[in-house]
Amino acid sequence: MQKPATRAAFLLIAATGLLATLVSAGHSQSSLGIGSNEATLPATGMFAGLLNWINVHQQNFYRSLTGALRSMRDGGGGAWLLVGLSFAYGVFHAAGPGHGKAVISSYMLANEVALRRGILLSFLSALLQSLTAIIIMAAVFLILRGTSVSMTDATRFLEVASYVLVTAFGAWLLWQKAWPRLRALFVGQPAHSLSAASHHEHHHHHDHHACSHGHHHHDHAHDHHQHHGHHHHDDVCPSCGHSHAPDPKLIGGERFDWKTAWTAIIAVGLRPCTGALIVLSFAFLNGLYVAGVLSVLAMGLGTAITVSVLAILAVTAKNWAVAVAGDGRTGNRVHAAIEIAGAAFVFLLGVMLLSASLTA
Amino acid sequence: MKTTRSIISAAAALLLATTPNALSHPHVFAEANLEVALTGDGAVEALRHVWRFDDLFSSTVLLEFDKNSDLTLDDDELEEVGKVIHESLAEFDYFQFVENAGKAVKMTPPEAILANYQDNQLIVFFESKPVEKLALQGTLSFGVYDPTFYTAIDFSEDDNMSVAPLPASCKKTVVRPDPDEAIAMNQDKLTEAFFEDPSSNDMSKLFATRLELTCS
Repeated sequence: MQKPATRAAFLLIAATGLLATLVSAGHSQSSLGIGSNEATLPATGMFAGLLNWINVHQQNFYRSLTGALRSMRDGGGGAWLLVGLSFAYGVFHAAGPGHGKAVISSYMLANEVALRRGILLSFLSALLQSLTAIIIMAAVFLILRGTSVSMTDATRFLEVASYVLVTAFGAWLLWQKAWPRLRALFVGQPAHSLSAASHHEHHHHHDHHACSHGHHHHDHAHDHHQHHGHHHHDDVCPSCGHSHAPDPKLIGGERFDWKTAWTAIIAVGLRPCTGALIVLSFAFLNGLYVAGVLSVLAMGLGTAITVSVLAILAVTAKNWAVAVAGDGRTGNRVHAAIEIAGAAFVFLLGVMLLSASLTA
Repeated sequence: MKTTRSIISAAAALLLATTPNALSHPHVFAEANLEVALTGDGAVEALRHVWRFDDLFSSTVLLEFDKNSDLTLDDDELEEVGKVIHESLAEFDYFQFVENAGKAVKMTPPEAILANYQDNQLIVFFESKPVEKLALQGTLSFGVYDPTFYTAIDFSEDDNMSVAPLPASCKKTVVRPDPDEAIAMNQDKLTEAFFEDPSSNDMSKLFATRLELTCS
C-alpha cells in the first residue's frame, strides 16, 4: 500500500518543480557588471504584502547603515549605531531573498533534526557567511588588488561553488529520501521492518519518540549495514514497524549526521552577501577595519536569528501536519511526502540558482 | 480525503517557509540626472544621463579596477570601468524606458559610457538616441530604472529630469511611482506572468521615476 503515498510525494515534487520554474528568473550577475547581485526569486504574490514590507525595511536599514559608515569616515563616532543597524539589516535581509533560509529549512524538513541542532546549523552557516565576506575582502585588499583576479570574479567563483554544493546536497538528500520508496514501488511489496529484537545487541540508542511521530525505520530486509554497529532500533514500539525511508542517521551513525550538516552549512556559507562585501570594501578603504568586521558579524547574527525562526516554523508546521494526519499510515505518508518534498526543494533550488548563475 | 488535505497543508507550510522575496533590494545608489536634448525642428535628439554613484559602491569599484594599486582610478582604469558598465547595461536597455503614446520607443545603444572618479564617487555619463525620429507630440514618457533592482537610480529633485529647452507647447511632469502603493493597488494584476518579464513596460510603470511630456 505504498502507492498512494508515492503518488502524493510525486505530486508534491511536481508542485515544487512548478514553483521552481516560476521563479527561474533569478539573475546573479549584476546589471552594472560590477559586484554581484543576489540571485532573487520573484514570489508568486501570495505573500507579496509581507515581503514588500520586509523589503522596504531592509532597504531602510541598508541606507541607514551606509549613512552610519559615511559619518564614521567623516570623523563621527557611532560604532554601536553601526553594529545595531547591521544587526537589524541582517534580520530583515535573511527574511528576504537568498538561498540560506531555504536550504536550512528544507534540510530540516527532510531530516529528523532536533530543533536545537537546527538553530546551531543556522548560526554556523550565517557565521561562515560573514567570515567568507571578511576573508574575501581581506584577500582583495591585501593580496588580489593589482592582480587580474577581481572581487567580482572571486565572489562569482564562490557563488557557483555554493550553488553546485546546494544542488549536489539536494540530489543526495533526494536519493536518500525518495529512492527507497521508488524501489518499493518497482520491486513491489516493500520489506517490512521484521523485528527490532533480532538486532538488539547492536543498538546504541533508543528512539523513544517513534510512536508519537510516525517515525522512520530502517529497512531491515535489505540491511547490509550491520557492521556499522550504529543502528537505532525502535524496540519500544514494534507495532509501528512499517518500512519507510531509512534515516541517514541510521545508516552511518551519529557522525554521519554531522557530515551532512556541514555540507549544508558550507553550501550556504560559501556565498558572501553583497551588502557585506560593499560595506567591508568601504570600511577597509577608509581604515575602519574593526567597524567593518563588527558590522558584518552583526549582520551574520541577525541573519542567523531569522533563519532559525524560519527553520523552527518549518519544522513545527511539519510536526503539526504529521500530527493532524495522525499515527499510522496517513501520518507516515505525510511525513514521507514532506521529507521528499524538502529534499526535492533543495535540489531544485540548487539547479535553478546554478543555471541562473551560469547563464547570467 | 484526510490525506490530501494534510498534504496540501504540509505543502502550504513548506511554501511558507521557503517562499522567496519578490524584490531584491538595491545595493547601489546613484544620484541621477537626465537631460532630454532636442533637435532644431522639435524632435528628441538624445537622452543624456549622468549618474553619480554612492561612496560605498564607488569604493568597491576602486578596489576592483585599481590595477596598479595606487588607490586612484587612472584614465585607462576608468576606461575599463566604462567598458564593463557599457557591456552589462546592454542587456537592460541602459535602464531607459521610453514610450510614445504608451508604445515603447527603441533607443540606440550609447557609443560609449564615460567614467570619472571625483571626491570618492564614481560618475558615469552617456547619451542615447532614438532609433527613429521622435517628435515632441502627444504624450512622451522617459523612465529610468534598473529592472534588476541592483541599482537605485534616484532623481532627488524634479529638476534633475529636464528638457533643454522646454518648448512652450509642452508640459513637463515628473512621476515618482510608489511601488508599495502601486503593488497594493494592482494586487490582482501582479500575476506570475507579470513578474516573468521584469523589463516590460508594465513593470517600469510601477518602479521607474519618469519624465512625462504632454505636447500639443
